[in-house]
Amino acid sequence: MAAALTPTRRAWGKRVLDRLTPTGLAVPAFLIAWSFLVIVPLLVIVMFSFFQVKSYRIVYEPSLATWETLIESGRWITAVRTLRIGITMTVIELLLAFPFALWLAKGCKSKTVKALIITLLTIPFFLDTSSRIIVWRSILGTNGFVNTVLMSSGLIDEPISWLLYSEFAVHFGMLGTYFPTMVFPIFMIMSLIDDDYIQASSDLGGSPGQTLLYVILPMSLPGVVAGVVFTLVPLMAAFTEPQMLGGGFVNLLGNSVNSALQELKYPTAAALSTVVVALLGLCLAALIMITRKRFDMSTMFQAIQR
Amino acid sequence: MIGSPSMPTMALIDERALGERSRFWRRISRWPGWPGVARALGFFAIAMIYVPMLWLAIMSFAESPLSGMPYPLTLGNYGALVEDERWIPPLQTSLVMSLLVALVCMVIATMVGRAITRMRRPGGVLLLTLLPLFVPGLTMGAALFIFLRTMLGLTMGLWSIFLAQLIWALPFALLLVLVIASRFDLRLLEAAEDLGAPPWRRFWDIEMPLLRPGVFGAGVFGFLLSFNELLRSLFLRGVETTMPIYNWAMAASQQSQVPIIFSLATIILVVTLPVMGLFFWFLFVKLDRS
Repeated sequence: MAAALTPTRRAWGKRVLDRLTPTGLAVPAFLIAWSFLVIVPLLVIVMFSFFQVKSYRIVYEPSLATWETLIESGRWITAVRTLRIGITMTVIELLLAFPFALWLAKGCKSKTVKALIITLLTIPFFLDTSSRIIVWRSILGTNGFVNTVLMSSGLIDEPISWLLYSEFAVHFGMLGTYFPTMVFPIFMIMSLIDDDYIQASSDLGGSPGQTLLYVILPMSLPGVVAGVVFTLVPLMAAFTEPQMLGGGFVNLLGNSVNSALQELKYPTAAALSTVVVALLGLCLAALIMITRKRFDMSTMFQAIQR
Repeated sequence: MIGSPSMPTMALIDERALGERSRFWRRISRWPGWPGVARALGFFAIAMIYVPMLWLAIMSFAESPLSGMPYPLTLGNYGALVEDERWIPPLQTSLVMSLLVALVCMVIATMVGRAITRMRRPGGVLLLTLLPLFVPGLTMGAALFIFLRTMLGLTMGLWSIFLAQLIWALPFALLLVLVIASRFDLRLLEAAEDLGAPPWRRFWDIEMPLLRPGVFGAGVFGFLLSFNELLRSLFLRGVETTMPIYNWAMAASQQSQVPIIFSLATIILVVTLPVMGLFFWFLFVKLDRS
């Protein structure tokens, strides 16, 4: 009985599967669902920031009240601070990552070392941040590792208090988290630069500095742009580091969104999220304006395809 | 690092004829220590990632993990962890959720990935699928929450966490499948068609075996990205808790809870680090060879 049933059922199933061509049905269906999950929510928060909450109910009447209170209550300072810390950290990571990516792509001769470093840089991307960030408290705190060592060695008389719960601590905790996103794109693009260009530059009498400035830097610009984008995007909504290392002194947009949501001030949260997206958009636009002459999206996809 | 000392410069430049400033810069740029500086900068940043993890493991054996010194050493935190059972349900939720996200990632990424390589203008589809990479997690989480909870009036729960993690993991899964699918030779399928194979057999017997590395990679990425996702799930959790949310809540709460986090995070690191290390090692060594 079962043996007789299975073939026909299989044949029917196969016929259905045969008709499921990728471009025919699956992809449009996916794209519609995806837009509902990604684009519609982003549009909704922009819209939502013009609504208000009155006695725990949302009033669906467009008004600028949320934005006005945002400016009056001084929350815009948070936006400025977030932008400042985000840009500072992006610059720091770029300064750390560019030379290292160059060494990794062109200077490091051992394939094993290269694979090892790439592996080490990939792993943190998949690790939970909160438990790793909270450890810094035990290193930087007033009776933490650094202060204990400095005190017992007699270098200082009383603990350095600005090490933890300060802007310094937040910056310091961010260093490791946002480094891989900067190195990776730059390294990928630099690996594609043909060694012959570099050799040609030096054959023509270019000093290493000139080769760097006129050959390597322009050719690795798409990677730098990608690195800046992928570092700045999460930095603009950084949440764990300021929460755990800022000790309430370093309030960033991410924390503001969270507290607004917890206080059920949805329009405020929506407005703050809009600010994040708008600031990011401005930064990206500025970046594209600066690098427009050199920037070409197709190089990014070439890098992916290789 | 730039240019090799083994091959001499062909152009002869009389440096004495150059100006004072350009001679100065040439000397600076020829300093042999630059590669060392570059290495030091990078290794410093890598240390910033791995020193905290090492310290986490050491302090999980300390009596008071938030103090500066690890000794006296004790197994007390691990004992407290065994007695405490509140972390087991979040871990189970995370494991099941990640498996589910991985599975769905594999299916959708294969479906869309192989279609994209066949489109004449794939740019729009690609950009739309990769869009979540350009939106901060927190913003995406808040936006999804406001849309689903307030606009549609739905109750948050495991399903909304699943959606949020899928939005995060799928772009990466798709990229991985794309890398493999863009190398796929479509003539193989034409040959199979000429030999009379129906579409499903063409896909399953010819295309799938060649796409398999990308598909499995998509699954692994989906699992890993979902397992440690905090920012999006945080807003969309409702009353559910995943492992990262539990970790975050404990770490952000009173300090008495922190010791358990240290030992729990250490155990998770000890299990996941070698597995991930091996996986990425093989991935990069293999990608390098192909």
